[in-house]
Amino acid sequence: MAPAPPTNQSPAIPPDDHVLRPRAGWAAKRFAPLVVLLSLLIAVGAIEPSFLSPYALNVLADESSVILILATAQTVVILLGGIDLSMTAVASLASVLTALALPAIGPSALVGVLALTTLIGAVQGLIHTRGQAPSFIVTLAGLGAWSGLALTIGQTTIPVAAGYSAVGWLARSSIGVPNSFCLALAALIALAVALRWLPFGRHVYAIGMAERAAMLSGVPVGRVKILGFALTGLFSGLAGLAMVARSSSGSPTIADSLLLPTIAAVVIGGTSITGGVGGLGRTFIGALTITVLRVALATIGLDPAYEPIAYGVLVIAAVALTIDRSNAQIVK
Amino acid sequence: MTEPVLRVEGLSKSFAAVRALDDVSLDVRSREVVGLIGENGAGKSTLLKVLAGVLRADRGRVIVHGAPVSPANVAAAAACGIGIVFQEQALLPNVTVAENILLGHEGRALRTGFYDWRTLYALAATQLEKLGAEISPSALTATLSFAERQLVEIARALAIEERTRREPIILLDEPTSMLDVNGIETVLGQIERLRRRASVVFVSHRLDEVLRVADRIWVMVNGRCIAMRERAMCDIADLERLMLGRELDAGCQQQAPSSTHGPKVRLSVRELGRRNSYRGVSFDLHAGEVLGIAELAGSGGESLCRALFGAERADVGEIILDGRPVRLREPAEAVGHGIGYVPAERRLEGVVGGLGVRQNMTLAHLDELRRGPFIDVVGELRLVKNWIDRLRIRTPTAETPANSLSGGNQQKVVLAKWLIGRKLKVLILDHPTRGLDIGAKAEMFALIHKLARDGLGVLLVADTVDEVIALSHSIIVMKDGVVSGRFPASAAKPSRLQVLERML
Repeated sequence: MAPAPPTNQSPAIPPDDHVLRPRAGWAAKRFAPLVVLLSLLIAVGAIEPSFLSPYALNVLADESSVILILATAQTVVILLGGIDLSMTAVASLASVLTALALPAIGPSALVGVLALTTLIGAVQGLIHTRGQAPSFIVTLAGLGAWSGLALTIGQTTIPVAAGYSAVGWLARSSIGVPNSFCLALAALIALAVALRWLPFGRHVYAIGMAERAAMLSGVPVGRVKILGFALTGLFSGLAGLAMVARSSSGSPTIADSLLLPTIAAVVIGGTSITGGVGGLGRTFIGALTITVLRVALATIGLDPAYEPIAYGVLVIAAVALTIDRSNAQIVK
Repeated sequence: MTEPVLRVEGLSKSFAAVRALDDVSLDVRSREVVGLIGENGAGKSTLLKVLAGVLRADRGRVIVHGAPVSPANVAAAAACGIGIVFQEQALLPNVTVAENILLGHEGRALRTGFYDWRTLYALAATQLEKLGAEISPSALTATLSFAERQLVEIARALAIEERTRREPIILLDEPTSMLDVNGIETVLGQIERLRRRASVVFVSHRLDEVLRVADRIWVMVNGRCIAMRERAMCDIADLERLMLGRELDAGCQQQAPSSTHGPKVRLSVRELGRRNSYRGVSFDLHAGEVLGIAELAGSGGESLCRALFGAERADVGEIILDGRPVRLREPAEAVGHGIGYVPAERRLEGVVGGLGVRQNMTLAHLDELRRGPFIDVVGELRLVKNWIDRLRIRTPTAETPANSLSGGNQQKVVLAKWLIGRKLKVLILDHPTRGLDIGAKAEMFALIHKLARDGLGVLLVADTVDEVIALSHSIIVMKDGVVSGRFPASAAKPSRLQVLERML
């Protein structure tokens, strides 16, 4: 039998369909975060010119590194359509464990701490996928549990003296750029490459956009999600180490104030909180914006109490600007 | 004849560069059922959406009962007397039928902000009685069947009547496309009843249905209303010609594959069962065979398909692939064994809407496209373009988001997703032609035949008995979860009646 199906003559003409999504304002949406960051820099620079000096920018980079590390892994989980609220608690726990273990067993303690935080993340991912519990709930429970554990073990700030050099290099600078910032940037680039060119990245975006369709295409949804949460665990650990390096101590509440800023960084960058849309380039801009805001408010001499208000306003504005309404009509 | 109740004059609507409606004019008379047909993307849904206030036209007028209207939303359209039943059901599953019917216009049933349940049920019952539907107003909506929910939607649209004190105009957007034989009969019967109190615009891909209930039929092609036919003056072939502007290739449309399949058994199912779904199901699927499952919706066939793809677990029984028993705990495992699945719910389960055609096509086989740990993007694009050409997928580029293609082209993307796999052995098709227009259907038919010729084992659950018969070498019939009839390839093709007998 002849296979020739009756069909149109020209296969490449525009689709006869008419549900093309309106593209108007696409550029505005895509580049708004960058514009916000630049205007913020310029505005602050105008008020306080010293803010743009090499020294101040260096401080800025140093200041941004922990948020950058946390936001990088958070982005992956948010792209998956989930969220990890436990990252800062795990980072604090990591700082306590590092402060306790580093003087006792030396640099190998770092490997142990990172392995442990990765495991914590993976277990949360496992509970989320196998138990079919929303990641919001699982990691909210984690936030409580790991904070409590850190407090139980650590009680208070633990100074690190012996063995500090194992993390101390993170607090120094090479060729004028803080090492912690270089580490954060390297980690971000590595994950960005993974998201773009590894099957893992494709899977992440597919799951975030349409989990059932991804699953029915043979995407190992459970494994990808667990890997995503293992990454947030690992990066929480890294953030913990960076904080130990900065303050020469570990503390059970050291990262507590960073939970809102990291999520804000991801969202302000333009990654959709509903999953599937966004990326690490955007998070980089978002994290810098948050840091500039933090530092600038302090530089200008504004009461630190206003800081969270500023995040709040920015998050709402960013979500209003970036959310893909055509895709996310049902928002929970 | 009196002034038409609804007149559309020169309606145009564009989305970006695409003209969805191009100078459309038509009219609907009092107590008339008007059929609206056309291929996917011809503009039928857009027209209904403009009438129902979901979209705004760029140009043109809509005149209802002699007065020009331009409703800004569904509520405003309802105030003009236009009610719509959408293709995707828009009922709240977790409240009662009565609440759904009267949602937003509770009237007397609302007393200082609280439901007066007795009045609410009574009002809802009035609407349901109009349809003669035996549905309890106090039933939880989620417990109804799909066909029953469709009736509830119609009842809700009919409730407009009381508020406008006029004959309503009811727009039905493919009300039968998701229903099985019984459900279709129910809905078509309701349309006949509706005629006594309303005007109806009925969109369907099934021309036989349109010819059964519509008095007049408008044909849309490429956003234009190209013809109107009286029911008495046309037949299916006429309408197909009008819609396509050409004759359908008869061979692709209906002819069943005559050749027999090879002797090699691809997939064996032994005594497979799942609680409350199916039991004791056994069959062999050969290489080069299309095995059709004929059933009424909910008889276990779809669930069986999912088990064979690892998307659902079977409780008992054995699945043997190429002579070796396999365990399918998740779809990823089935894909690893060379089993592909085209789900019925294309938009939710078939394509990842926001991703491009390229990413959708290669999603299941990224491992085969790797160079080292990375995806070979250049090779990927070459492969995807090749398949776009082979399946004649109409898409502007390989990067176009899949959800902006028409239904038929989306379905081809889903098929290509499996066909690019180098070791594909079995393809499971769950209602592969659902929601497709006849042109796209014919292409899908031809493709399925070709797949079987290429040595694939194809398991098929199709929309209608005719489709199963036309497409399959062998047929098993399922009823209430058990195999109630078998028509092997060696025997003569069964008739429609023979198959139906075993189903009902």
